[in-house]
Parts: sequence; structure tokens; C-alpha cells
Amino acid sequence: MSTHTLHFFDRVDTALHDATLRTALDRATTRFVGNRAGAIGALSDADRLRDQARALRAYALSRLDELLERLAERVEDRGGHVCWASDGEEAKRYIAELARSRGVRSIVKSKSMASEEIHLNEALERAGVEVVETDLGEYILQIAGETPSHIIAPAIHKTREQVGALFEQHLGMPPTTEVPPMIRAARQALRQRFLRADMGISGVNFGVADEGAVVIVENEGNARFTTTVPRIHVAIMGIERIVERLEDLAVMLQVLARSATGQKLSVYTSIISGPARPGEADGPEEFHLVLLDNGRSQILGGQYAEALMCIRCGACLNACPVYQSIGGHAYGGVYSGPIGAILTPLLQPDLPDNHLLPHASSLCGACQEVCPVRIAIPDLLLRLRADAVKAGKFHPIEKTAIQTYATMMNNPALYRASGKFAHLGARLLRRKGRIRRLPPPLHLWTRGRDFPSLPAQTFSEWWEERERQRRSG
Amino acid sequence: MSRNQILANLRTSLASNRPWLEEVSRSAPHAPPPFVHPPAADLVAQFCEELAKLEGRAYPVADGEEALEVIGRLLDERNARQVIAWDLEQIDLPGLPALLAERGVSLLDADVQGPGRKERLQTLEPVAVCLSGVDCAIAESGSMVLRHGPGRPRLASLLAPAHIAVVRRSQLVRGLGEALALLRERHGATLFDATSHLTFISGPSRTADIEMTLSLGIHGPPEVHVVVV
Repeated sequence: MSTHTLHFFDRVDTALHDATLRTALDRATTRFVGNRAGAIGALSDADRLRDQARALRAYALSRLDELLERLAERVEDRGGHVCWASDGEEAKRYIAELARSRGVRSIVKSKSMASEEIHLNEALERAGVEVVETDLGEYILQIAGETPSHIIAPAIHKTREQVGALFEQHLGMPPTTEVPPMIRAARQALRQRFLRADMGISGVNFGVADEGAVVIVENEGNARFTTTVPRIHVAIMGIERIVERLEDLAVMLQVLARSATGQKLSVYTSIISGPARPGEADGPEEFHLVLLDNGRSQILGGQYAEALMCIRCGACLNACPVYQSIGGHAYGGVYSGPIGAILTPLLQPDLPDNHLLPHASSLCGACQEVCPVRIAIPDLLLRLRADAVKAGKFHPIEKTAIQTYATMMNNPALYRASGKFAHLGARLLRRKGRIRRLPPPLHLWTRGRDFPSLPAQTFSEWWEERERQRRSG
Repeated sequence: MSRNQILANLRTSLASNRPWLEEVSRSAPHAPPPFVHPPAADLVAQFCEELAKLEGRAYPVADGEEALEVIGRLLDERNARQVIAWDLEQIDLPGLPALLAERGVSLLDADVQGPGRKERLQTLEPVAVCLSGVDCAIAESGSMVLRHGPGRPRLASLLAPAHIAVVRRSQLVRGLGEALALLRERHGATLFDATSHLTFISGPSRTADIEMTLSLGIHGPPEVHVVVV
């Protein structure tokens, strides 16, 4: 077992023993699951809307080359600039050079998974620019020096006491455990950041090819400030996040908001086409669109292409029993939960624990059940597991164990014998009706779980006895 | 360089996966539904009810005069001496300029472009009220649709703690599909020629980032008042 492998298990261990995190995750995921179910259930024809969303995603991917060219051309027609970035380095170089050439000292950012994927903040800070995250949850994490534990509620693991202490320290707010004064303090502090910023960086939920536009959804209004107030707006878009027509949004926005938070629409949806027009009072003078590939163009040709349909709603995270227990930190990458276990190995291939992520799943299928575009997540997870085994990522003993298991299951006599043997073992390990620790190497399995003790009889013993009694009785 | 490389990769990838993607693409119709909830008989009532669920305030009024009364009261309650607004002729409410003049409420020049941008933004920041019209409003989600561009500043629905909007009954549509179809019908392919920013607003700014506690007005207006004429 390599040390890298232990890192993932250690993160899981930490998460499972963090009572605050588990309470917070339980509260968040329960609420999101309920809200989503209510919102989807209220639709006249939810199945049809999801089928349409899936068809539209497939359509856009099937013409991705053509749609991206159209999007870029129309953005430029409107006076915007387009950067085609093969990888994170190219994207970061473009933005850092832009900041340098325009004398940018301070940047405000609204939530962008793509920018987190390429670690944009660190690169800009190294270039001497101040970067402020403006989504409240992301801001709390930035001043705390932490990473998101949940895609939609990134700071859910922080208690109000902890946030109060952070604000006291960083914003000079009087000590409090009440939420409303914290909101007021954050509004005031971040408002000044917006008004003084030289550049705003946002993510993109959808590009609209025909209109040369990008769509950004949010609830707080920080993305509106980010894209309106500073002189320069830079939008970073993963190349797969595209639709052809404005009308397609009538499907995509509705499944996105309902799946993410149970809202009918997010509070603010901004559809932005280029910089401010001549004669317009506000809005940026410059608009830059960064089209980030970072492996996506290759993924499109392989067996995981379906993962590119993802619209980042987070519904599969909330529905996943594993995610509900360990949260986002444990996954190690930017993308967590069931879809993260697929996207992280594909988009952040250098992370050492990637081969373990597809195993952070019970394959129960809840993720596929709630996915607004019906991605076959369990199927993709299984393929990733098979790939990892083929690539020799696991100890040969595991392969031997699985082969032994297969032999046993195919031979009734061996199967019965193994059942009796397991019973004997279980009796030796049992404490108060539960097995808390299995012997190595199986102890890894019991690090975060109890193993249920076996009943007194095996099933075949019980069945034989039952049949005997029935015949005699 | 990268552009050509990315496009070449995409074309190579699609050579193997396009048939499968096209099959999925054909599995459902692409035309969006005009609305997605069972249709309500009274769109005004539905819009007001949905907005109330979002913690926004709706004021259904009988005529322009009553609308002016409501707006006058909202301005007085906030002691507003200055507002940031769309060009008043772009807000469909006769008598609005007179109402503001009567109360001595001045319209701030929201133009921040060019040198001195940050200083002008600081001058605008303390304003108490934003005032705008809408292009249409969506009954089933309580949303307003605003086209931003010349004469329609984005800050006029964003900067102040209170946003007052005027919606005409005739501007109400059932769903998002209908709203987008209406914009297309009015503006055709030139929708984004004069519009740089199309915004859907559904209630006040909100966050639940601290302990899942709902809070209004973290960045955008905590108060959204919609006068439905």
C-alpha cells in the first residue's frame, strides 16, 4: 500500500471523525435533496424536460467544434476577445499577462469551477495581483485558507461561531454569533472590493453559440457585480459548456436551478454578450472569453465522453450516501461526489489518489436517478475501476482475492465451506454483536465502518433446517 | 495555434463518438416548452404569489395613478432623495418624471465609463433606491426579464438596497420558454445588438452559506418591490 493511497483513506478518516462536518453535511444534503425532489415533482412533465436536456447536451457535444467556432466568432464580432487555452498554463498565462498589461492590481472573482481546476488564484497572486473571492461561502473559505466541502454550499462545514471569529479577525467586526450582522459586514467589505477592482473574473454556466453570449447563474448578485463594475471582465468557460441557441436555455436553466437548489430559476441569470455597448452607462469596457480545453477535447473521443454532458448542478453529490458521509474535502480534487469521482481523474489526471475515487461509491444508482441529463454515472465508475485495475494501480493480492471469490461463488461445495469458515472467523472477532476491526489487509475496510456480525446460521443451514421441519411437520 | 489544435482534437474525437451523440440528440425533441408548470388562470395572481415566496413584494394595482402612489410611498419610506434609474421614457409609466420632480428626487447620472470610473462608482454607492422597468415578467417563477444597454443601466437593478420595478400586466408571460420566444419575436436576430446584458431577476439577493440560514441582500438588493400595473 503506497503512501499516496493512505492519503485518500486519511482524508476519509478525518471527515468521518469530524462531527461538525457530518452534522453540517447531513443538514445541507437533506435540505437539498428535499428541495430538489419538491421542485422536480411540481413539474408538469419532469421526465420529458430531462430527456430534452440530455438531447440538447448530446447535440451540442456532437457539434462542439462548429459551435465553439461560432461562439468565438460572434464574441469577437461584438468587440470581445477570445483566448483558446489548451491547458491551465495557457489560460493562466493569458490572464496574468492581461492583468499585467492593463495595470490590474485588484481582481474580484465569482464562483468558477474551471478556474479552481487550473488553480488560477495562486498563479495571479504569484504575479502580484490581489484576488478576492466574492461568493460569501468562497470568501469565508478564502480568509480561512480552506477548500470547499460542498459545491453549492462551499463553507457548510464552518459554524456561525467560526465565521464570526474569522470576520472579527479579518473585517474588524465586533464579536457575534448572529448571522445578520455577519451578512451586513460581508456585504460592506465586499462592496468596497467590487468598486475598487480593476478586473472581474467569472465562470460560465453555458455559452450560447448563436448569440456570442455567456450565461452565469447565481443567487447572491456577486457575479452581477463582478461582470458589471470592473473595467475588464474575463469569463472562463470549459469548452463543453455550450448550447447552440438562446431558446435552449428554456430547458437547461430550468433543470439546472431545480436540480441544484430546488429553485424554479436562480435569483440572477445574466446573459452577457461582449463588452458594454457604445453609449451604455455601465458594464465592462473589455470582455475576454477564455475557452479552456484542459483535456476535454480528448475525453470527447473516449468512453467517458458522456461525463462532458454534466452541467455542475450538484444533485448527484447530495443524493450520494458516500458523499453525505465524507463531504467534498475527502475527494481531494476540485470536483467531488459521484460525478467528481469521474471528472477529477479525467480533468486533474496528476492527482495521486485518482484511481481510488471511483471506489468511493456503493454503486446504488441514486446519482443517475437524480442527474438532470441522466448521465450513466455508475456505469462510468465501473469502467474507471476496470481501467485502474488494467493499469496495475492495485495490489496483485486484490486481484487474487477477487479471483478466489469468483471460484468460490461458482462452486457450491466450496461456497458452503467458505460460509462455515467465515462464521467461525466472525465469532472470534465479534464484540457486542459487531465487528469493529477486520484483520489486515481487510482492516482498511473497517477503518470507517463496522462490519455486521453474521447471524448464528448460514443461509444454507437455515434453508436446510426449514425444509427438514416442513417435511417432518 | 491552440485554437487549431483544440479544433483538430475535437474533430478526431467526434469521428468516433459523433454517431452515438447524434443518436442521443435525436432521442427527444429540442423545442423548449413554453412553460413547465400546470398553467394558472390568473397570471397576475400567480406572479405575485411566486414573488412573495421568494421574499419579494408585489403590488398589483388598478392603474397608473395607483402605481405612482405606491412608488411615491416606497420612496418616502426610504427617504430617497436620489435614485439610479433607467431613462424614464424606457419605464412604461406616464407621470413618473413628475412624481420624482414633485418630491425633489433627483436622477443620478449612472455613467461610470472612462477615466474616474472608481470615483464615480463611490459617488453612486450610497443611493437608497434603484428604479427600472422590465421587458417582460414570468408568472410561474416570479421572475423579471431586463434587457440592459444604452439608457438601461445594469446598476439600476443592482446597486441600492431597494429595487423598485414597474411591470405592465400585458408584459406577463407564463414561462421562461414564452419569455425567450417573446424576446425573439420582438428583436429577431438583433437581440444582442443593443443589449449587452440580459438579466432574469427572481426576488431579492440571497445566500444560505452560513449554516444554511437564509439571508437576504448579501450583494444585490435585499428588497425587491414590483408594481404590477
